[in-house]
Amino acid sequence: MVEEALILQDIHIDDFLTIFVSAGLVLVFGGFYVGIYTAVKAELLKPWIMPFAYIAWLCTAYCLYLMGSLMHVNDFTAKTLVVAGLSLLLIPHAVYYMLRRVHEENEYIHEENEEYVHEENEQHVQAKNEH
Amino acid sequence: MAQKSVWSDNRFWQRSASWITGFAAMLLIWLTFDTIPQIMMGNDTDIKEGVTKRVPGPTVINYKITYEMSKRRGHEIPVIGGANAEGTSSFQEKELFFGRDDWSQEEAMEMLALGKLASQAKNCMNCHTLLGNGAYYAPDLTKSWLDPMWGPEGPLQAMTGKSTKEEAMAEFLINPSQYPTHARMMPKLGITAAEAKGLVAFLKHMSTIDTNGFPRNFGKIKGAVHGK
Amino acid sequence: MANNYLTSESKKLATWYFTFAAILFGAQLLFGLVAAIQYVMPGFLFEILDFSVARTVHINALVIWMVFAMMGSVYWLLPDETGIETVGIGLGKLFYWVFVAAIVVVVLVYLFVQVGPADQTTIWFIMEGREYLEAPRWADIGIVVVVLGFIYNLYATGMKGKRTGIVTVLMADMLAFAGIYLAGMGYTDNISVDQFWWWWVIHLWVEATWEVFVGAIAAYGLIHMIGAHRKVVEMWLWIEVAMLFGSGILGIGHHYFWIGTPEYWWEIGALFSALEPLPLVAMFIHVLYDWGKQQGAQEAQGKEVSVVTNKPAFTWFVLQAFGNFLGAGVWGFFHTFPQVNLYTHGTQFTSAHGHLAFFGAYATILIGMFYIAVQNKNGIKVMKATKKSIWATCMIFGGVLGMTVALTLAGYVQVLVSRAQMGATWAGYFDGQAGIWFAQGMDWRLIMGVVTFIGFIILIKDLLSIGSATHHER
Ligand code: HEM
Ligand code: HEM
Ligand SMILES: [Fe+2]
Repeated sequence: MVEEALILQDIHIDDFLTIFVSAGLVLVFGGFYVGIYTAVKAELLKPWIMPFAYIAWLCTAYCLYLMGSLMHVNDFTAKTLVVAGLSLLLIPHAVYYMLRRVHEENEYIHEENEEYVHEENEQHVQAKNEH
Repeated sequence: MAQKSVWSDNRFWQRSASWITGFAAMLLIWLTFDTIPQIMMGNDTDIKEGVTKRVPGPTVINYKITYEMSKRRGHEIPVIGGANAEGTSSFQEKELFFGRDDWSQEEAMEMLALGKLASQAKNCMNCHTLLGNGAYYAPDLTKSWLDPMWGPEGPLQAMTGKSTKEEAMAEFLINPSQYPTHARMMPKLGITAAEAKGLVAFLKHMSTIDTNGFPRNFGKIKGAVHGK
Repeated sequence: MANNYLTSESKKLATWYFTFAAILFGAQLLFGLVAAIQYVMPGFLFEILDFSVARTVHINALVIWMVFAMMGSVYWLLPDETGIETVGIGLGKLFYWVFVAAIVVVVLVYLFVQVGPADQTTIWFIMEGREYLEAPRWADIGIVVVVLGFIYNLYATGMKGKRTGIVTVLMADMLAFAGIYLAGMGYTDNISVDQFWWWWVIHLWVEATWEVFVGAIAAYGLIHMIGAHRKVVEMWLWIEVAMLFGSGILGIGHHYFWIGTPEYWWEIGALFSALEPLPLVAMFIHVLYDWGKQQGAQEAQGKEVSVVTNKPAFTWFVLQAFGNFLGAGVWGFFHTFPQVNLYTHGTQFTSAHGHLAFFGAYATILIGMFYIAVQNKNGIKVMKATKKSIWATCMIFGGVLGMTVALTLAGYVQVLVSRAQMGATWAGYFDGQAGIWFAQGMDWRLIMGVVTFIGFIILIKDLLSIGSATHHER
C-alpha cells in the first residue's frame, strides 16, 4: 500500500530535545489559544486580549512546523499536522457558536415553556431532598 | 430571540455521534480483516519457496538470522538465511539450533508454542518489553536473539560456559540469578530445560518478525556517547 | 459511621463499590512503591516479591479499582437520572461480593503462587502474563458474568425509568466496554496477533470507552454540582462522544507501528491519534465555560456565593479536565508520531504518559465521585473543603505530576542513549539505566511516589471525617 518509505532518516541526536519541547508546546500554546479565546468570549477577559489568542495559535503552528521538520515527516504526516493545526484553530469558534446558540435557545425555552424547566428543576430538588 | 438551529439540536448530535462511531468502528473492523491475514504465521513451505512473511513460520529457527538496512524500505529488516540481491531474505544459509538445522514444521512449532506459553506463564512481560510493549525494568526482547551480548564474543555466552548462543541463553534462563550481569538481576522463575529451549526458539522466532524497523540502529554503536 | 442519609438502595450499593475501590487504590500505590524501590535498590525483596509481581499487582489493582469505582458511579447516578430505584439491586449486591471474592483470590495467587509451568492450567488458574490482562482465565469469565449482570441492571433501569442523554450514552458505552474485553481473552502462539488483540482491549478501553464514560460522569457532575443546564451539557456530551470515538477508535493505529502489522498503520495511527487531543481540549473548555457561565449568572443576581455544591468533588472534576488534557493530550501527543515513537516506544516516556494519563483522566474524577457520595451520605447540602482535602489534593496531584516529570527526564536519557545510539540492545539498555539523569529520575520518582502515598492517606482520612465537619451547609 505504501510506496514511499516513511522513516528514511534518523533523527539527529541533538534534535530530540527540540522535538520533545516543541511537541509539548504545541498543546500548551494550543491550550492558551483556546483558553484565552473562551475567556474573552465568556467575558472573563477584556476583548483587547483576543489578539494574544491568535498569537498563541501562531506559536502552535510554528511548533508543529518545527517538530514536523526535525522529525523528517513525509508528505502525508505533514498534511496530518496541517489538518490538526487548522482543526485546533476552528474548534473554539465552532464550539462557541454552538454554545451561544444553545444558551440563547434555552433562555428562549425558559420563557416559552416554563413547564419544561419546572419539571426539570423539580426533579433536581426531589433528588436532593431524597438524601 | 434565537431560531432553532440544527447545530444546537441534541438529536442531530446524537445521530452524528452514532454515525461517526459506527463509521470508525466499521473501518477498524475492515482494517482488522486486512491486517490479520498479513500477520498470520507462515509455514515451512513459504520458507522453502522463498516467500517472505511478516511473521514467518517456526522453521526459521533452522536459519541464520540477521537484521539489515533495507534501502527500499529505509529501515532495518530481519533477513533470514542470508540476503539475496535485493537485500531481502534468501532462506539459504542454515544454522544449527540446539545441534540441528532440520527441525520439522511440527517440532519447531511445538517448541515455539511451548516458549510462547512459558513467556506468559512466567510473566516475562512485566519486566521486559516484547515488540516494545510491556515493562521497562529489563532490556527489550524483540531482537534479543541478535544481541551482540549473546554472540560468540559477547560476555554472556562466555559467562555461562556454553559454546553456542542458544545453549547459553537457555542456561541463563534456567538459573538467571547464578549469572549476575548487573545489580538488577533476573529472578529464578522455575523455568525447566524444555521450557528454556522453547523460550529460546520463541525469542529467535520473534527476531524474524518484520517490525517495520523497530528497533532502529540495533547494535550499530557499541558504546554510548551522550547522556552520561 | 454516623447517620446514613441515603435512602436509595442503588446509592448504598454504590458506596460499597467506592469503598472497595479506595482499598484497591491504596494497594495499587503500595505495590507501585515496592516496584519503584526496586529500581533504586535492586536487591529489595529479590526472589521474594520480584518486580514483575509487584508491577502486576500495581497495574491490576489500578484497572480493577477504576472498574469498581466506575460501576459504583453508575449505581450512584442511575436513581438521579432515571428517577426510579435501580432494577436488580439484589443481583447487584450478590455480584458485588462475588467480584470482591474473586479479586482477593486472584491477588493472593499473584502474590503467593506468582508463576506456573508452561501449560494451559497456568493460563486458566494462575496467570495469563499479558500486561494489564494478567488475570487468569477463570477470573476473566467471572468478570464477564459480573459485568453482564451489571449491564442488565443498567439496561433494565434505563428502559423502565426516564432515559436521559447521560443514561443513553452510558448504556451504549458500557456495552462496548464489556464487549471489548472479550478481545483479550483468547490465547495464541503468535505474538503479533496476540498484541494486536491485546491493544483492542487496552487502547479501546482507555482512549475510547473510558473517555466517553468520564465524559458522561463529568456531565452528571456539572448538572448536579453547579446546576449547569441539562440540555447544554447533554448536547456537549454527544459532541464529545463523536469526537472521542471519531479519533480514538482508529487512533489505535499508534500501537500498530512495530508489532509486525503492516506499514499503513503508520499513517492511520498518526492521523487519528494526532486528533485525539482535540476532544480533550474541548472537554477542558466546556467545564470552565459552564462554570464561568453559572457563576456569572449567580453573581448577576447579586449573590456572591459560589455555585458549587461540593467543593472538594468539583476541584477533582476540574483537575480531571486539566489532567486529561495534560496526561493524555500533551504527553500522548509527545510520542504518537511513528517518527518519534520509533525511539520512545517502550521507554520511561511511555511510563510517564501512562501515569499522568491514567491518573489525570480517571483517578481524579473517580475521587470526585467518592466525595459526592460522602456528601450525600451525610446529608450535606453544600460541602466545603477541609484542610485535609486541600492537602490531599495538592499532594496527590503534585506527587503524580512530579513522578511524571522524573520519568520524562529518565525517558529522555533512555531515548538518547539506549535507543537513538545503541538501538535497544542489552548493553544499550543498561548504559541508559546507568545515566546520571536516569538514576536521579528514579530517585525522584520514588520520592514523589511517597508524597503521593501520603496524600492518599490524608485523602482517606478526609473521606472518613469530612462528613462530620461543622462548616458545611446542611
Ligand atoms: C486517558 C487516556 C489515556 C490513557 C489512560 C493512556 C494510557 C496509556 C498507557 C498506560 C500506555 C502504555 C501501555 C503499555 O503499558 O505499553 C499508553 C501508551 C501510549 N499512548 Fe496513551 N493513554 C491515553 C491517551 C492517549 C492519547 C490521547 C494519545 C495520543 C495523542 C496516546 C498515545 C499513546 C502512545 C503513542 C502510546 C504508545 C507508547 C509506546 O510506544 O510505548 N495516549 N497509553
Ligand atoms: C505511589 C505512587 C506510584 C509509584 C511509586 C508507581 C510506580 C510504578 C512503577 C515502578 C511502575 C513500573 C514501570 C516500569 O515498568 O518501569 C509503574 C507502572 C504503572 N503505573 Fe504506577 N506508580 C504509582 C502510582 C500510580 C498511579 C497513581 C497510577 C495511575 C492512576 C499509576 C499507573 C501506572 C501504570 C498505568 C503503569 C504501567 C505503565 C506502562 O506500562 O507504561 N501508577 N508504576
Ligand atoms: Fe493508545
